[in-house]
Amino acid sequence: MVAFILAVTVMAADHYGHIMGSVRGALLTALNPIERIATYPQHLYQSMASEYSTRNKLLLENQQLNTELLLLKAKQQQLANLQMEVHRLEALLGTTGKMNDQSVQIANISFYSNNPLAQFVTLNKGQKDGVENQQTVIDANGIMGQIVQTTPSSSRALLITDPDHQIPVRIQRTAQRGILTGKGHDLMQLNFIPYNSEVKVGDILESSGLGGVFPQGYPVARVSKVEARRENPYLTISALPIAQLHQTHKVLILGKPEKEEEENTAASNESQNQQPIQEVQQPAKVNQPKEQDESND
Amino acid sequence: MTSKFIYIRTAQIRGLILLTFFLALIADSMNLYGETLLFLPPFTLLILLYWSGHFLDRTYITSAFILGLMCDGLYQTTLGSHALIYVSLTFMMLRQRGRFKGYTALQQGFFISFYLLVYQVISFIFFSPVLNQNDAISYWLMPLSAIIIWPILAFLLRQGTFQATESSE
Repeated sequence: MVAFILAVTVMAADHYGHIMGSVRGALLTALNPIERIATYPQHLYQSMASEYSTRNKLLLENQQLNTELLLLKAKQQQLANLQMEVHRLEALLGTTGKMNDQSVQIANISFYSNNPLAQFVTLNKGQKDGVENQQTVIDANGIMGQIVQTTPSSSRALLITDPDHQIPVRIQRTAQRGILTGKGHDLMQLNFIPYNSEVKVGDILESSGLGGVFPQGYPVARVSKVEARRENPYLTISALPIAQLHQTHKVLILGKPEKEEEENTAASNESQNQQPIQEVQQPAKVNQPKEQDESND
Repeated sequence: MTSKFIYIRTAQIRGLILLTFFLALIADSMNLYGETLLFLPPFTLLILLYWSGHFLDRTYITSAFILGLMCDGLYQTTLGSHALIYVSLTFMMLRQRGRFKGYTALQQGFFISFYLLVYQVISFIFFSPVLNQNDAISYWLMPLSAIIIWPILAFLLRQGTFQATESSE
């Protein structure tokens, strides 16, 4: 009877009060070695499979990666120019900068669940590395999910396809806002898009930044199906995640947008206080190339 | 063979019980990998039902509660929900274990499949898993798979119990 009452109390406390975070953290810490052992057979299979890959295959892969790196570097240069351009335009318009450099951490996926009950990944970075709840997790293609639980040495991220997960998005092409809900089985549904909206299959959905949890502008999903039902004032839109949820091994954990903003505000306040010094320093920086030119001459 | 169990106490095989719980948790973790493994029963529950059904000197309610909490952590469900299901099913087993012990392994398998059906129904109500057509078939076939798994599991645990008892003596 005591166990029944205790179980119900724990359920109520966790569901309504969200005060069981530390208990869940302790449980996850205890489960960490179990999860690690459970992944050994898969790691063993992968290492055995990789041993069979030939040298030629590796050389080809290396060549492909080098080409990709070159392309990415070229794109990065363009991006840096664009970023500067945006900063300049924002300064002209008098708006605050939004494209700040976000702090990121690289993490490895150490465990994952692809069960209809829960879709999550366990990462090898935790509280010791400064990982906190609600931080966004992305891969090379787009948003994967958000951190929901942390332990000292690991953290658990709920995937965007989990039925309990919702993310505010906008359609990249039209800027129409909506809420993207996980449906399990690597599917998502875009809610609250009115019947008369212009949505096409193939449209990219990106994070809108509303709610302050996810940073804006990151690709999340691609529209795969649009259905209009007369009895429903909203369209039924299905979407597929852009991030490779089950293939990615390395992910990035983004810093919290609010925290970043606070840090940037503090930094800008400091820089405002030090403005006279900067104004003195700026001409010196501009003069540097001239001095070099003179020396070259 | 079953009569020999009367003379074995839980304290004699505590190490084996803990080891089986640990292995069951690993097996359940491995089940999480793929959605195609939905037809496999929760091994923690099977092991729990085995020990609570065969050893009359303990109730195993505390073990059920702790294992349930571990499963909540593992499956990312509301804390206490699996604990409640496990405690309820263990309580059901305690009421029936006198009769359960006398059954053959195959009969026990049918008995256990009913318990797992109860588990699936409660899980369906509590967690509302999103199931497509194939998943739904696997999900509801899980109790039947227990009929096949239980005799093998019972045989292994029985052998393990006798070996552990002999080594402790």
